[in-house]
Amino acid sequence: MTKRIDVHHVTRVEGHGNIVVEVEGGQMKECRFDVIETPRFFEAMLRGRSYMEASHITSRICGICATGHATASLRASENALGVELSEQTLLLRKLVFHGEILDSHLLHIYMLVAPDFLGVGSVIPLATTHRDVVLRALRMKKLAGDICAAVAGRHTHPIAMTVGGFTHFPTAAELKDLQAQLVACRADVNATVDLCATLPWPKFERDTEYVSLTKPDEYAFIDGEILTSDGYRFPINKYEEVTNEYLVPHSSAKLTRHKRESLMVGALARFNNNYSQLHPRAKEAAEKLGVKPKVTNPYLNTAAQVVEVVHCVEDAITLIDQLLTRGIKSEKPTPVDLGKIKAEGCSGVGACEVPRGILIHHYKLGQDGKVTGANCIIPTNQNVGNLEADMRALVPLIMEKPVAAMQLDLEMLVRAYDPCISCSVHVMKVEKKS
Amino acid sequence: MAPERTLILGVGNPLMGDDGAGIEAVRMLAEANLPANITVKDAATPGWALVEWIKDWPSVVIVDAMQMGLKPGEWQCFDARDVRFTSSEGAISLHDSDLAGGLALAEALDLLPPQLTFYGIEPESTEHGMLLSPAVSANLPELVKYILNKYAM
Repeated sequence: MTKRIDVHHVTRVEGHGNIVVEVEGGQMKECRFDVIETPRFFEAMLRGRSYMEASHITSRICGICATGHATASLRASENALGVELSEQTLLLRKLVFHGEILDSHLLHIYMLVAPDFLGVGSVIPLATTHRDVVLRALRMKKLAGDICAAVAGRHTHPIAMTVGGFTHFPTAAELKDLQAQLVACRADVNATVDLCATLPWPKFERDTEYVSLTKPDEYAFIDGEILTSDGYRFPINKYEEVTNEYLVPHSSAKLTRHKRESLMVGALARFNNNYSQLHPRAKEAAEKLGVKPKVTNPYLNTAAQVVEVVHCVEDAITLIDQLLTRGIKSEKPTPVDLGKIKAEGCSGVGACEVPRGILIHHYKLGQDGKVTGANCIIPTNQNVGNLEADMRALVPLIMEKPVAAMQLDLEMLVRAYDPCISCSVHVMKVEKKS
Repeated sequence: MAPERTLILGVGNPLMGDDGAGIEAVRMLAEANLPANITVKDAATPGWALVEWIKDWPSVVIVDAMQMGLKPGEWQCFDARDVRFTSSEGAISLHDSDLAGGLALAEALDLLPPQLTFYGIEPESTEHGMLLSPAVSANLPELVKYILNKYAM
């Protein structure tokens, strides 16, 4: 008997991806995750544009990680141009970054993953069966978006973030209001942890190389060094040693691998590598969720996101305390001196941990400050190879199940990675040959 | 009786030609001298967030380019309860939803405002571009004036 699973465009993920699995006579004949997204040529678009425009262009790579792309872009330009940042800028950048992580994680936990566990096909029927859950999700997401809007000028595609600093500042009153809402939001955060602690995560273990940024003094989201769970450590400008990109015929995404056949980035990698730096309340949440490093079940990436939601809410409260204590000042961005650029130009790498993992922007700038070369390494690309390796390990364990159950296990695995392949809609098709 | 609080949302993507008509309409409305009971908002391309925006208003007006089978630039007003929000379950897979999905979610949560009115203007072109077509540009001021007369007088 042949079982064939051919999910054309997996739903509730961001982008176009197909699952193709074929099992014949108890043997796995085929097992692929196809990325069928059109290449988008952002790196080419950047060439010839000023470093000042780069963050605004690249934030459009993603409607979810817009702040993440802008941040990586700004850090690449700032590192290329030797621009130092003020303490206030660092605090505001961290705060807006938390807003985006929260927005993205909440979307994934509630809108994309929860329907699988709560037995519905999407968030719309969930609104009828679990009204309070959906209302909570919307309430929390709104607060996350409001943080981004207050700090960076709008919910998505930050307008106030620029090379060297900010062009707009939240008022103390706005920050106090956000902080009060964050404190009030703890009840929703606890309810999120409690809900997720009841979810029956599929059982599946496969160890891999977990790769994330790391910093000596905090749970790393912006800057730091690259750390892998196999003990390798690299400065960010040596990123190519880890993210060896290679091409395969069935995917328009470039895959990456380091020492093993694949590597994993994202919330689970950060959790595994930087657990000790999580906020105490986040560690309590991890305990409730039954996760402690090293977690090797990829389905638990979502649980790691829940832990990060707790961390980001708590850290955002602390960051606002620090900003209010210092007093918000309207300060000019650090000036850039293009005269310092040598004839051969300059280059810089910016790295941050966006919701789905390490994001790297690498720019080369000419003497006029225009981009002469750009490289953007996107987390989902880094995860595709690992996802396929998980699928190959999982299929033999579930091949006795009916096709529909196999398909759900595989779709849930894909969703656990929260892949951001970019905007997609679509239907699925299952064939059962006998 | 105090005038009813009304939220007027402009919806659309100004990078896609006439799809920006709703955004341009609320920009024009915002320049008018609006009474305190009227709030206008550029809602861009809202998804799930729409629920949080509209839930506590007694009256919400949505201005958007809509394909209604009219001539380009012609506009129409209709009550939300007279149309069906088409949002198929399997299609909800992207990182956010769209206007129909946001409205469907609000409906499922029983959070649709008591008054929900659409003003749709028929687009000529929704290809890439930041300009409205002549047909839409010509008729938009009339639509804006109609809305002003109805809600802000």
